[in-house]
Amino acid sequence: MADLNLVTSVAQGLFAGVGVTVLVTVASLAVAVMLGFALALVRQFAGIRLLNLAIDAYCEILCNVPALTHLFILYFGLASLGIRLTSMAAAVLGLGLIGTAITCAILRAGFAALPHGQAEAALAAGLTPLQVISDILTPQAMRIALPGLGNYAVQLLKDTSVVSAIAAPEIMFFARSMVTSSFQTTLIYSMAAALYLLLSLPLMQATRMLERRYGRLKG
Amino acid sequence: MTGFFAPYGDYGSEWLPLLVKATFNTAALSVSAFALALVLGLLLSLCQRSPFAVLRRFAAVYVTVVRGVPLLAVLFLLYFGLPGIGIVFDAFGAAVLGLALCFAAQVAELLRAGLKAIPAGQAEAALAVGFTPAQSFRLIILPQVARVVLSPMIVTFVSLLKDSSLASLITVDELALTGRAMATEYFLPLQIYVAVGVCYFAIAWPFSALSRRLAVPAR
Repeated sequence: MADLNLVTSVAQGLFAGVGVTVLVTVASLAVAVMLGFALALVRQFAGIRLLNLAIDAYCEILCNVPALTHLFILYFGLASLGIRLTSMAAAVLGLGLIGTAITCAILRAGFAALPHGQAEAALAAGLTPLQVISDILTPQAMRIALPGLGNYAVQLLKDTSVVSAIAAPEIMFFARSMVTSSFQTTLIYSMAAALYLLLSLPLMQATRMLERRYGRLKG
Repeated sequence: MTGFFAPYGDYGSEWLPLLVKATFNTAALSVSAFALALVLGLLLSLCQRSPFAVLRRFAAVYVTVVRGVPLLAVLFLLYFGLPGIGIVFDAFGAAVLGLALCFAAQVAELLRAGLKAIPAGQAEAALAVGFTPAQSFRLIILPQVARVVLSPMIVTFVSLLKDSSLASLITVDELALTGRAMATEYFLPLQIYVAVGVCYFAIAWPFSALSRRLAVPAR
């Protein structure tokens, strides 16, 4: 049986990565939601065919290739062109750009779910098209998109484990480096799994609360 | 820009067979894992609907834990961790099992949503006209659930296919690992990882397009 000293030292080692895991999650989430929202607005309302085509292509490419491959292209691939990103920058950029495609799709579905009458009525009532989008459509679309965005956030937190492959010092990275020195594989990886669970449970709870608070459209 | 494409002309004939073989390995890994995930997901879904509270509780806890733990941690635990307590998998087996264990939860949740989408009146009506409960499930409920669930199931398969790239980190000889080996050998990481991305896209995109065509509009 693993003794308590060992457990605490492994826990300390893993906690060293929590900061980076949370940082990468929050930063990528911010990039993804902001860019994804911008793309969703352009794709949904601008009506410029070439731009729509470009956005669709972007989403298809980002969504049909694994995160690991995108990260390798950014981290190892660009370095061969002389563009050297730090592992943290590559991690946030990679996960953020992938997330952009995901949140764009979620938000677009939110806008698409709104009845046409909403925009028509608001225009008829004398609002400018910009006001219609910002005051009438966006708040409702956000509410519809909330469960999807919450799921994405939880998924993102887990996906940050992948950036250990480009040596960003997060939880999984410390787990792997501890394994090479102590060989306590079973203990270390189960504790790493438990730590991720510990981080994602409050996030799941928070998204559920937000959904309950804002998720219902009041008829 | 010609500089970027030049290596494909020089080495394309050497790379192509390697990448094609690796793509088939990735496909074999993904299909095996998805088949097992379907079986496990179905069992889990039966647990969710079981009359026994213990089984329902187990299913709920399982789904929550899997939602909160990254696949990478599961793979490392299975491949590097379990030998510590005497359970040894080969890399391919560990990858299939790890992917299946994680995606079983998603399959179960999809089935649950699918069953919920069929109004209770359907089963009641079937019973009223003299079907046995088994017939009602097989002939009335199941075909409708299958129709609703098909498109999201394909989306889940694409996620699994992308996540199968993580198997490279436990030394499964698939597309991502082949890419790493080639990048070390030829020292052209950008061109090689882009080619790897194209291979993933080539298998994933047709399924993504299919899932969109089969999507059932929300009621």
